[in-house]
This record gives sequence, structure tokens and C-alpha cells, in this order.
Amino acid sequence: MHYAQTVLSCWNPDQPEITDLIVRHNPRTLEREPVRKQEVLEVFQGFGNRQAVRAIAKLPEWDGMLVETAVDRTMLAIHWEMQRLSEEFYHGDRVWEILRAAVKTLRKTGFLDKIRITDIGCGIGYTPRLLASRVSAREQGLEFTGVDLNSTLIREATRLAEADRLGCKFFHGDAFSQELAGNIMMSTGVIHHFRGADLEEFLRRHERKETQMFFHFDFQPWFLAPVGSWFFHQLRMRTAIARHDGVLSAARAHTGKTLVGAARQGAPGFASGIYGARIWNTPAPRVFHTLVGIRRPLVEEFRMQLGHRAGRLDELR
Amino acid sequence: MTLLLLYLLALLDGVLCGLRTSMGRNARIGKFWYYARATVRGLLGAQIVSTIALGVLLLVALISPHSGELRIDLEESAGRMLRIFLPYAALVLGSLALRAIPSTDIRSASSVIFLGPLTALRPLVMIVGVGYGISESRLWETRALGLVILTLMLSLEYALNRWMARIQAKQIAKLVPLEHSPKQLIRL
Repeated sequence: MHYAQTVLSCWNPDQPEITDLIVRHNPRTLEREPVRKQEVLEVFQGFGNRQAVRAIAKLPEWDGMLVETAVDRTMLAIHWEMQRLSEEFYHGDRVWEILRAAVKTLRKTGFLDKIRITDIGCGIGYTPRLLASRVSAREQGLEFTGVDLNSTLIREATRLAEADRLGCKFFHGDAFSQELAGNIMMSTGVIHHFRGADLEEFLRRHERKETQMFFHFDFQPWFLAPVGSWFFHQLRMRTAIARHDGVLSAARAHTGKTLVGAARQGAPGFASGIYGARIWNTPAPRVFHTLVGIRRPLVEEFRMQLGHRAGRLDELR
Repeated sequence: MTLLLLYLLALLDGVLCGLRTSMGRNARIGKFWYYARATVRGLLGAQIVSTIALGVLLLVALISPHSGELRIDLEESAGRMLRIFLPYAALVLGSLALRAIPSTDIRSASSVIFLGPLTALRPLVMIVGVGYGISESRLWETRALGLVILTLMLSLEYALNRWMARIQAKQIAKLVPLEHSPKQLIRL
């Protein structure tokens, strides 16, 4: 659903999110790179997005560059707030509901090694930390890890995991690298950041021998999603950037058709489909849906392991 | 009895304000003690507000030329306020009770459909409740007291929010220390 410029410029899905632009890393070295404030402002001025311009204008600059400390502090505040939304939506429970079936499937089909579950773009690592707090990883032979390009967020994820004495690990790096890729790859609210050819490339990178499944949770687009998201972000979020990006995320979210199409094209070694699009098989959509990819020999077992929830899974092919 | 009920509702509102203003400001998984402190903070805030309101009430009763009539007028107004506040409180508590149902869909729907909108409505409910309460009062003292209480209750969440924002800013400043010149420090 394109609200685009005709309704509200800040809901135009063609533009990036503020947090995509105020932090920049060298894709090869992962070193932080300075960001010129005016460049970021011009992007949103180009879209006539005054809400974004106002939010960015508040960030301090030094010699025209955004001050990294201020950006990092804002990012932490935003991610703390985002965790609150995840808690309110019981996101961890939803993730475990599907991961439990995934883990059982791997065990039933003879996977005896430790299963590494990698959260791509984990931020402050809410999902791996929650899973580590709920599930006996050692007993089940699981390893919960989170990977992000932002070193500040990874430091915070590690600090929080240590404070709660959780066994999960966090890494600053490329989630698809040899050392960090998991047997199960997952993400939350990340996949809509990849557009067009980048989406297919992102999914293509799952085609690694060790990766057996992937689960990408994201907003489900429908015409009321940006409205509901706006209302909720106004109520629950405090930082201007979080309020802006949260709503834009809902507007930018990919349809199930787009996701599945890209997965089948980019990662043909997996059978892909959407999980949990509708509430109790009614026409009412869930806020989040999940792009599921399973190695083909595992599909039937996975359906079995989902039990009564198997009805939530669309056709996998 | 009517005033006691209003007092209890004010405490409940304080507790919820305390919780709301602390949410999203601590990213630990285990937050039992954090929320326990937030509850106490809200309760204390509501107690302070109630004590100030009681002080103003006593002062007005002392200086009012018709203190006997004032008591009856106050109780009647408080009774009318309860007609708005009690159903609202019941809706909030009912929505919270939905979270006891072991279904992620129902639990999260309780936020989206009930708690979120009810939170948004809180200031309006307070204004309507107090407005309706004092609308038929005969004495200016009752009307003034109602407005004082309304201002105090609306200020509670604002004050708690400011307090928590300061604590959060200090925590974040510790986690991301300044690595820049004093000039930048001023801007931050």
C-alpha cells in the first residue's frame, strides 16, 4: 500500500529510514565512517519529509559531521524503546514458537551437532537474550548468537546479556561470514531494509551448506498498518527518530508475495513461504508475518513439528 | 466512602503512571525489581498528589464561609466523578487481566485494541470525569478543588516521565561516554 507523497511524505516507502543514514560503516572493514549531516538532511528534503528533517536537525554536528557520540546515544534510546514494543507484542514467544519446531525438525532428521541460531541485525539482541533466558541452550545443544554492523549496539547487547547472566553471544560483523553464519538464520524488522535486487542478494547469501533454515520476521503491509503503527509509536516511543522510522518501517514492509518471490529466486535451495499471516485463519492480518525458508528434505518434518500451528504455514516450495 | 474510592483510584493511576514512564527505559530481560521500584515510585507520586489535594481541601474547608455545605457538595461531585472513573478503571484492569490468557495473539491484542487506546484516552477521561463531577456543584470551592486535583493528576505522569528521562539520560551517558571536545560537550 503506497500512501506516498499524496497522503504523507513521511510515509513514502521509497525513502530510507533515518537510522539507515545516520550511521555508516565501511562494508569491507566495518569501520565507522563519518556522516555529513547536510547529506542526510538533503535526502529527506528531497522527499519533502519535514518530520525527518526536524528529527535530524536536532542531532548535534561538528564541522558538518554528525557527532557519533550523540548518534550512538540516540540509537541506544531507540533500541531500548523498540525492545519495549517487542515485549508488548510478545515477540520472543512468537519466535520460539517457530524455532522450537525448527530445532525439533533438525534433531529428528539426524542433525546431532550444536545448532547455532544467528539473529541478523540483532541490535541490542533482545531476541537472542530472551531465548537464552527461556530455553536451556546447553541441554538442547543450542547456541544463540546475534550479529550487527553497529558496534555500539553489540556492546550494549553483550552488557545486557552479562547483566542477566545469559549464555548468548554477540558479534560485530557480517552475519553471513564463515565464522558467524548459523544453522538457523533469523531476523526481526530487518528484511524491509533490503529493496529490489538487494533483497534477492540478501536471501541468496543464505545459500550456505551449514544453513538449514531461515525465519525473517517483519511488519505485514496492509492499508491500516501505517495508521496503527503511527498511533502506537506516538503512544509508546519517545524519540522523534523512533517515531518516524517505526511508522516508515510499516509503510516500507514487503508483501508476502514479494518476500516469497525474492526467496524463491535468490535462495532456490530452500522451500519458502509465509508463516502466520492471518489471525486464527480469519481474514484479520497479524502485525508481523514471517518469511520461512527450509531445506527441502526437512519440509514435511517441519510441518509435523509445528503441530496444530501447521495451518499458519502457507505452501512451502 | 466516595472520597476513599477516589483516593484508591488515584493510587492505581499512580502505579500505572509509574510503570508506563519506566517502560522502554531498561533493556534487561529480568526487570522484576526495576518494575517493582517503578510501581513504588508511581504509588509515592500519587500519594504526594493526594496529600497536596487533601491539604488544599482542608485549607479551603477552613477558610470557606459554608464549610458544612461544602462537604456535601464535595461528596456529590466525587460521586459523579466515579461514574466516569470507575468504568474506565474497570476497562483498564480488564485489559490487563486479558494478559493472563496464555495466547500471544490475545495478549498482544490487549495492548493494541485496549491498553494503547485507553492510555491515549487517560487525559481526556480525567478532564471529562472532573468536568462532569464539578458541573453541577453549587460552590465555587468545589469547582476550584476539582480543577486543582485535575491539574495535579495530569502533572503526575509528566513529572514521573521527566524524572525517568533524566535517569535514562545519565545511564546512556555512562554507556556511551563523550569522546569529543568541550565545545561539543556543550551541544550534547
